[in-house]
Amino acid sequence: MSEVKWQASGLKVHEASDVTESHLELQADVVVVGSGAGGAVAAYELARKGKKVIVLEAGPYVPSQDFTEKFTNSLETLYQDHGGQTNSSGDLLVLQGACVGGSTVVNGCVCFRTPDFILEDWQRDFGLDELTQDELAPYFDEVEKNLSVHDNGPHEIARHGWLIRAGANKLGWSVKPLKRNIRECGLTGHCLSGCKTERKQSMLVTYLPWAVAHGAKIYADTRVERILAEGGEATGVEAVITRHDGSQAATLRVTAPRVVLAAGAVQSPILLLKSGLANRSDMVGRNFACHPSLLVAARYPEPVHPWRGALLGVYVDEFEHPDKGGFVLEDGGFGLVEMSMLAEPGSGAPFMDYMANAKYLAGLVTLIHDHNVGRIEWDGEKKKIDYQLSDMDFPSMQRAIKAAARLHLASGATEVYVPASDKRVIRNEGDIDREVGGLENLPQHLRMVSYHPQGTCRMGADPEQSVVKANGETHDVKGLYVADASLLPTSIIVNPQITVYALATRIARHMA
Amino acid sequence: MNSHLQSRRISAVWQQGMARRRFLKLGLFGVAGVAAVAAGGFALLRRSPLDDQPVPPWATGLSAAEFHLFDRARQALLPVIGTALVHSDKVPVVQNVQRTLSYLDPVTRKELGTGLGLFDNAAVFSHGCRFVDLDDAQACEFFDRWGEGSVIQRTLATVIKQLVYSAYWQEEPTWTPVEFDGPVSDRWGLPYLGNAPMPESPSMASTVSEGDNV
Repeated sequence: MSEVKWQASGLKVHEASDVTESHLELQADVVVVGSGAGGAVAAYELARKGKKVIVLEAGPYVPSQDFTEKFTNSLETLYQDHGGQTNSSGDLLVLQGACVGGSTVVNGCVCFRTPDFILEDWQRDFGLDELTQDELAPYFDEVEKNLSVHDNGPHEIARHGWLIRAGANKLGWSVKPLKRNIRECGLTGHCLSGCKTERKQSMLVTYLPWAVAHGAKIYADTRVERILAEGGEATGVEAVITRHDGSQAATLRVTAPRVVLAAGAVQSPILLLKSGLANRSDMVGRNFACHPSLLVAARYPEPVHPWRGALLGVYVDEFEHPDKGGFVLEDGGFGLVEMSMLAEPGSGAPFMDYMANAKYLAGLVTLIHDHNVGRIEWDGEKKKIDYQLSDMDFPSMQRAIKAAARLHLASGATEVYVPASDKRVIRNEGDIDREVGGLENLPQHLRMVSYHPQGTCRMGADPEQSVVKANGETHDVKGLYVADASLLPTSIIVNPQITVYALATRIARHMA
Repeated sequence: MNSHLQSRRISAVWQQGMARRRFLKLGLFGVAGVAAVAAGGFALLRRSPLDDQPVPPWATGLSAAEFHLFDRARQALLPVIGTALVHSDKVPVVQNVQRTLSYLDPVTRKELGTGLGLFDNAAVFSHGCRFVDLDDAQACEFFDRWGEGSVIQRTLATVIKQLVYSAYWQEEPTWTPVEFDGPVSDRWGLPYLGNAPMPESPSMASTVSEGDNV
């Protein structure tokens, strides 16, 4: 096995600016498509076992030092479609990282293990008998240790978190500190713009440098256009390397007997559809879920400064189980741009009054256990995220908004802003049913954001009803694996990064 | 014309558009495509005095009508009288909108442009003039009414407002009056932690032995 060369800072990445030839031919034992939660973990695990690993990332390499802590700028440079990726009707912003490290670079660091009742659903409904709590626990233990996952300490709970905790206690609701993958949090509140001083344990400062230390090579600016297969077996990929001005720098072909697809739950199915592979079940791209979330803001009598301190501090799990509502509430900080997007206090003077008092606002993020009703499609030119909040899930969303409003009021808020396209302000308990009950499940009525797309290449035992096996290999193409959130057969209610890390570790261990 | 009738009128035009094109490609800011089709019957319903006004030389990514629409929206949506907030003419709001729109793919950008034309011209039904010629109170009331209207109306009102809002609040001069801290890591002198140390060998429990099969 070759020498391990760990680098204390930075990451060795081949970029478009390094390319001097118009076509590159490479060979590897494994080519990994995507460098986010699934791809980085798989790359490290396989490189550690002596495999020659090449990681291809469509997005750019942006070193931490270049993060600006300006949200709009970060959307443009670090996110998919410059932060403008939406569903077809435009009322759901689907935020995904599109840079080396993927969404792990821009997430809020929140870590949950897959809930037990979700694993039980997977065992019962998808034949994933081996994915038990006992089977996965060692993987969770290991990735949590590697990524410094810990309960937020008191100093990591910002003013808004303390307010929410007090309100939950008043209501008798279960409230807990969130777990996060972070070392010595700088309390900047800029998680969604990337962690400039490398405290968030994203793939950029953990598994990717570890993979490189074991010999893996990373190519940024490199979009895979097609997965190659012959005789039912994966043989590699074809890609295009694009300069930052949009011009093509080179084409690339990687020949490899194993391909790990980890481009995320939107891009992975598109790549399979473009390649015409692994879709005997016609399930590729189907079953999209995304935890459509809302940021419910409220105004408090005392300053909160919601941009100060750790972005996410505590959560209410009182309603997590589907039998109790199927949603969680997380206290969430935010900056001015996000704040301007989420509430509708009225146009003109009312809006400017709302913003002028921004320091008095606090937010609650709602996450619901949505059904897998969406679909990712590719029409030959453009992707399409066909997802509307289903009528089955709309009552859950309403319950989550109502609970958020009650919690804000119990925490001392004087006004709660329903994140809708029309003005809906709650000032007391009596307003809740009217303002939330009056919402309609129509496009563009709620201002939803998804940070957790999932489910488009679902795992399952039945090749007619699923795309991949429990070991991540596709039913149809030997040597072609999926190792990202598109695996998840159902939505998991909670932030999925730990689930993806654990599954990717397990998949790679079995591959190696 | 009241909002209900206006919604019906717009929906009717939308249906005509569907019949003509039968196929829509929707993209960034979602229903830009829907709006574009609907807008097909609305172009240039009424001239505006602003049509003869020049646009700044930097506005190469916006049509003249789009520039005037966003500039009018800026004035109406971001009033600062009686507050300590920075006047919107002190920050490059419309330039920032233009930059955001530059990220749209050409098809969606064209469709959104047509949708913006719908928004501008639809005010002729309710007010007898284009949106760009409404006074501030009328313009805000127009936005609020569209926020309660049909899908197309809600979409366009939301898109325009959010473009304008984010274009304003992303600018540093707007932060001080509301005590927003902006970037802090360099100012606080936070040291870089670098890469995490290499992990120890995996625990036995999560190590798959040779021959394991799943």
